[in-house]
Amino acid sequence: MDGWLNVGALVKVLVFGIVAGAGLPALFAMGVRAQAVGAGTIGGQHLAGDRRPALTAVGYLCFALVGAAVVVGVLFVARDFIGHHTGWYLLGAEEK
Amino acid sequence: MVNESLLILILVVATALAFDFTNGFHDTGNAMATSIATGALGPKTAVTLSAVLNLVGAFLSTAVAATIAKGLVDAELVSLEIVFAGLVGGITWNLLTWLLGIPSSSSHALIGGVIGAMLAAVGSSGVEWKGVVSNVVLPAVLSPVIAGLVAGIGTWSVYRSTRGVSAERTDRGFRIGQIGSASLVSLAHGTNDAQKTMGIIFLALISYGSVGADETLPPVWVIASCAAAIALGTYLGGWRIIRTLGKGLVEIRSPQGMAAESSSAAIILLASHFGFSLSTTHVATGSILGSGLGKPGGEVRWRVALRMATAWVVTLPAAALVGAVAYGVTAGVGGLAGVLVVFVAMIAVAVLIWLRSRADVVSHDNVNDEWDGHVSTRRPATAGAPS
Repeated sequence: MDGWLNVGALVKVLVFGIVAGAGLPALFAMGVRAQAVGAGTIGGQHLAGDRRPALTAVGYLCFALVGAAVVVGVLFVARDFIGHHTGWYLLGAEEK
Repeated sequence: MVNESLLILILVVATALAFDFTNGFHDTGNAMATSIATGALGPKTAVTLSAVLNLVGAFLSTAVAATIAKGLVDAELVSLEIVFAGLVGGITWNLLTWLLGIPSSSSHALIGGVIGAMLAAVGSSGVEWKGVVSNVVLPAVLSPVIAGLVAGIGTWSVYRSTRGVSAERTDRGFRIGQIGSASLVSLAHGTNDAQKTMGIIFLALISYGSVGADETLPPVWVIASCAAAIALGTYLGGWRIIRTLGKGLVEIRSPQGMAAESSSAAIILLASHFGFSLSTTHVATGSILGSGLGKPGGEVRWRVALRMATAWVVTLPAAALVGAVAYGVTAGVGGLAGVLVVFVAMIAVAVLIWLRSRADVVSHDNVNDEWDGHVSTRRPATAGAPS
């Protein structure tokens, strides 16, 4: 830590930042799109015969993945607290 | 006889809680501005949710560093008077920037105040300049750029993926998504920022001698009062700043809002994991700017951005100046009287700023009004009573 800036850690923040910070909204957007196509409402008129339940399910899967990522985020924030009170050290938390 | 040093301790604790309170309302916008602007959450609902999550977040901190501005000033030389003067500098700058509706960093205001007080007390040798550059200045320059880049990529791919999907459908979907991302930012904020004040009070208690230096956790009343102060401030809502961030910088829609908040949450959590100390404000502002750049045909009001950037540069020296003057007066008058004089002066300044803000109130009623280049909506009273 003699340098002015920890460049390695900075690059990690950038890379993981893009994966999580841009990837998750993108995944969410795919879910929105899958559901729109699944409901047959893409690009103009709504046609009842064009419903595709499989894509609707894919949409829900995307939302579930994003939801799971948010849960991991919350656990990450609370990891020291959880470790301190329950003894389960998650996500790189350390016993102090 | 009343114990003089106990009274000084009480004044320092009160000032620290006051700073925590300004920290709360100054930063409400970081998490909630875009959700309020896009209508994902009603203004009142948004600040309530954010306040609750800040409260919870504050209780989640378990290990509080007993040093303030570690690696920035010589910890051996920090006295109660320096901490007090630093807090006064931080509070004053937070209130001024709030009046102007500028989202500046609360942490920078505090750090600036402490550095200024240290310079006045000890001189340049008391400040670790290399630490200031590598822990404060460089992150402040880099974090908005990184957050903006991530939010820009996110926004671009979101609009790319949802081409052809009706606006009604995307708006509805992303408004729900925004609630999740904004909540995460609020929680992270409570964990980080309330902890700073807890650290200050903890330090004050140690130097007074009522808490042992080998304790790692502050007393429960410290955690509870800091959590309450930041939550109360958040609930009050810094509407002027929320308005600048949500309406002024970028004309924002819910897909952009979600991309911006996701970027903020990811960068804040990753940075704390990798040991960077950065300002929530810088990250949130960079993200919102990036979401304006990433949207095809989106626009960024660069005048507003430039005003903010100027305030960011000025924050450290300005808060330092107030901190230095506050220390000068505190030490010049000396003892309890010195602390008391500065404390009363700070309250007077706060009241003046508050009175000035009453001239053009920004509240949950008009926070989302059309942006016409000003924080205040400046409606003549004759234009019809608000419904």
